Order: sequence, then C-alpha cells, then structure tokens
Amino acid sequence: MITGMERLVAAMNGTASDRIPVFCNLLDQGARELGISLEKYYAHGEYVAKAQLKMRKKFGHDNVWSLFYVGREAELLGCKKIVFAKDGPPNVEHFVINTYDDIHRLQIPDDVSAHPVFQESLKCLRILRQEVGGKYPICAYITASMTLPAMLMGMDKWMELLLLGPAEVRDELLAKCHDFLVKEVAAYRKAGADVFFYANFFGSTDAVPIKYFMEHSLPWIEKDISAVGTKGIVYFCAQARFNKVIDVVLGRTGIGAYYLSPLADIAEGKRIIAGRALTCGAINDIKLIDWSTEEIRSEVKRLMDAGMPGGKFLFTTAIMPYNIPEENIRTMLEAVYEFGRQGKR
Amino acid sequence: MNVEDIIKQYNEAIFDTNRDRALKVVRDAVEQGVTPEDAVFKIVLPAMDLMITAVNENFDANLAQHFLTARIADIVTAEMIPKFKQMSEVVGRVVIGTAPGDFHALGKRIVMGCLKARMIDVIDLGVNVPAERFVDEVIAHKAQLIGISALMVHTATGENGCRKVRRILQERGLQDRIKIIVGGAPYRFDHQLYKTVQADAWAEDGITAGKVIADLVKELQR
Repeated sequence: MITGMERLVAAMNGTASDRIPVFCNLLDQGARELGISLEKYYAHGEYVAKAQLKMRKKFGHDNVWSLFYVGREAELLGCKKIVFAKDGPPNVEHFVINTYDDIHRLQIPDDVSAHPVFQESLKCLRILRQEVGGKYPICAYITASMTLPAMLMGMDKWMELLLLGPAEVRDELLAKCHDFLVKEVAAYRKAGADVFFYANFFGSTDAVPIKYFMEHSLPWIEKDISAVGTKGIVYFCAQARFNKVIDVVLGRTGIGAYYLSPLADIAEGKRIIAGRALTCGAINDIKLIDWSTEEIRSEVKRLMDAGMPGGKFLFTTAIMPYNIPEENIRTMLEAVYEFGRQGKR
Repeated sequence: MNVEDIIKQYNEAIFDTNRDRALKVVRDAVEQGVTPEDAVFKIVLPAMDLMITAVNENFDANLAQHFLTARIADIVTAEMIPKFKQMSEVVGRVVIGTAPGDFHALGKRIVMGCLKARMIDVIDLGVNVPAERFVDEVIAHKAQLIGISALMVHTATGENGCRKVRRILQERGLQDRIKIIVGGAPYRFDHQLYKTVQADAWAEDGITAGKVIADLVKELQR
C-alpha cells in the first residue's frame, strides 16, 4: 500500500503515484474526536498525537500535524495568557512586548526544546514518529522572523514598528525572532518533524507592496532559509496571495514547495513555478461550512483542473474551521481522491 | 502647485508606504496656501477613495498601504481640524470593537483612522468586547452604528458575537435605528457571511469600511 510520504515524494519529484498527495489540516477537530474541551485537549501532547492519528486513519489524508495552535510560539517566548474558545483556535491575550524596552529585554532560550511548553510538543512528536514516522509526513508550523513579532506585540503595533520604525528597534526584534526560528526548526527536526510550514504574512503582496517586499521581506526570508535550509520547507503566507513574488523567492531561496492562497489563481501560480517546485493548491475551507455536496465537488474539481496538469501538485486546505460538518470534510476528501487519481485524466 | 499635483504626490507617497513624504506633501501644501479644509477633503479623502478603487480593480494595494493611509489620514485630520475656519460638523457616530474572544486590533485601527477624516466620531471599545457592551455603548453615545471586527471564523460566526448584538438590538426595539457592520478575514473568504451573522453590511478592508460606514450613516439620517 502506498503511503502518504511516498505520494509526497512522488509529487515533489514529478513521478507517478496512485493519486496526488492530500494535506488536510485538521487541528481543533481533534478535541471533538476525543470528546474533550479544546483547553484540555491542547494541554497534553498525547491527546494531540492520538487525535491526529485517529483523524488521519478515519479520513485517509496524507499528513499529521505536530502543531497545537499558532500561539504556542508566543508561549515559548513568555506569553502568559492564552484564551481558549469552545469552537475555534486559542488566541494570544497577553502580549510579551508592550514597550520598546520589552524588545531589549526579550530573551531567546538557548534550547527551545527544554521549555515546558515544548515538552508537550515533544511528547506529541514522539508518538507521531513512533506510529507513522517515515510513512506520513509530520508537519510543523514555524513563523518567519518578519511575522513572529505580530504574535508578541499585536499586529497593529508591529505594523507601526515595521513600517515606521525606529529601524534599530525593529531590526533588533527581527534578529531575535530569526534566532528563535533557527532554534525552533532545529528542535522540531531533532524531534522528527518532516514538513515545515514557514508562515510569513509579510511574504505576500496582500501584506506589503512589491518594492517593500524586495527591500525588506525578501532579505529576511533569505536569511531565515539560508540558516535553516530548504529541506521540508513550504512557503506559506497565512492564506494571503503571493503569485507576483514566487519567481524571485524560488530563484533566491530554492524553497521546494509553495502553498498558494485559496484566493490565488492556481493555474497562474503553477505556470510561474513551471515544474521547479511543488504547487500546493488550497481550497477555501470557510465555505465548506455551508457548501452543498455538489458545490464541494465542483470546487474540488476546479482546483484539480487548474493544478493537476503537469504533475507536482498537492491538494490542501487552510486551517480547517472547527464547525465544518464532518460530512463535508468527507465529501471534500472523497472528491479529491476521485479527481486526484493519476493516469485517469 | 495645483491641488491635482499635490494629490498625485501624496498618493505616490502613500503607495510607496512613505509616511514622512506624505505628511511633508500635505504640510508644505498648507504652508503654500492650500486651506486645511482642502487638505482633508481634497487630498486625504480622495487618496482613500483611490485606495478603494485600487482594491476593487485588484491593483497592487495591500495591508501596509491601508495601514499607512489610515494612519496618515488620522494625523493630518488631527492637525488640520483645529485650523478649520469653522468648526467641522460631526456627521455621525460609530462604536467599534473586536468580537468577543478576538484580540486582533489592526483592522479596527485602520477603520478608525479613515472615519475621523470623514468627520465621523468614533468610540473605540477595544478588543474582546461583549455583545451587551456594544449595545449599551451605542445607546450611551447616541451613535448610529456598531462596527464589529473579527479575524477568526469562530469569533466572526459565534453565538456571542454579531448574532447576539443583533438579538439584543431586536429585543430593545433598536434594529431600525442602529446598523451593524462587520469586517475581518473570514468575510473576505465568504462574501455572504455577513448575512449569516445577521449584520447589515461588511467591507473588504479597513479603508473601504470607512466609506461603507459613512454611506450607512448618511442613509440612516435620511
């Protein structure tokens, strides 16, 4: 039986497999799967691993996640309050940085994996590696140097500092976030993660103008990637669009996979990538909450028609909202498995 | 230099995300005889409208430009209003905040900067605002409109957010007098979502929200 890892490797190399690889990003759904609250679920790495394995088996997709929730990185850097909801991802309430002095005081731990918060991630990764290591890609979420400050001080304050300065304070924070990223990736790699969603809203032209991207975003992307290497890295802009900069990012960093926004023109993105890397086409999963079976199948087919010709294509979702009915998740995946068969089209 | 040239220079600075240059263009113009009223209504406001056009035409407009447009509009308006020949008339009032459980303040901040230049008074309720407070404050400040920002699907669609604000307005018989506008990422991914959560309107981005709110206020005053 072909594994998810084999499908992914085949897609990256442009060789044949039974179908295209499918990454279904189910996170909060794990709590429902185990019948416990999100707060209890995310307190234990064993729960997250158990639910990830259970959901992968149940739905048949090709990946598992070691990510609990995005705010974990803020916790690793001192965030003391996360707000849990009943039906959605936890939210950072306490910002670590409130003044510029807090930036000077911010300390990056030498060993990220020694942090108590990361211990639970390690437990999760240990189980995932033991159960599906090498067979199904284990995904990790890492936030780029230029985007991590938004979690530490709030997006509005970070935009102000990023765009208006003072430049030396901005650069000090960026350097610290870069240091954290490098250590975090090393810790995840050591623990067995294979695929890294390199999350960078500021790597998108929905966030900044191209001129700004070239002068500021790109140098930090190059610095990040040059430090952590391209192995397993997926260029991901938090669902924002970046077709206009794919060519330069690919040329300058060599990143091998690009997660296009659900709002992006996938055929255009694929044309720009031109077989040099894997194209990840994402469905607009907010619409999965209400779409009918016919609408889901039609949208999956549209994405496949745009992305599959020429191969090197992976179907994916955004971070699936909690309240998507399970039946709709199944409908989407069954359509992908049907339309994504290779050799059929 | 005529007003058209000033607008052009100002807009170029905004599109280059260059705050200092944009502010210098406006301040120099006022020094050279452009009235403070024209600085706001003929330079800053048209720049915002141009940004809305750019968004609608899928031109290269982005969050950084929206942020700076609003920020600069806020600064220029605060500087110019005291210099107006006549006290400017506030055309409406809005209370604004993020949905319960949501701590993302950027969108709200962009909207606030834009509204001031449109002579709309803004009461900022901050983040993680309970539904009851939205309604209590809109009444207390005699405002016409409630703006609810949400960055996450569950805070946009949750029972305690916009839906609850609507329910309270109905219970208090206020639904014809007070409108609700929503905004934030989930609404960009599902353009019908504002109807699902029972809002009256939504906006694609903070700059557009300023105009939609101004239009709604005018509509309510008819």
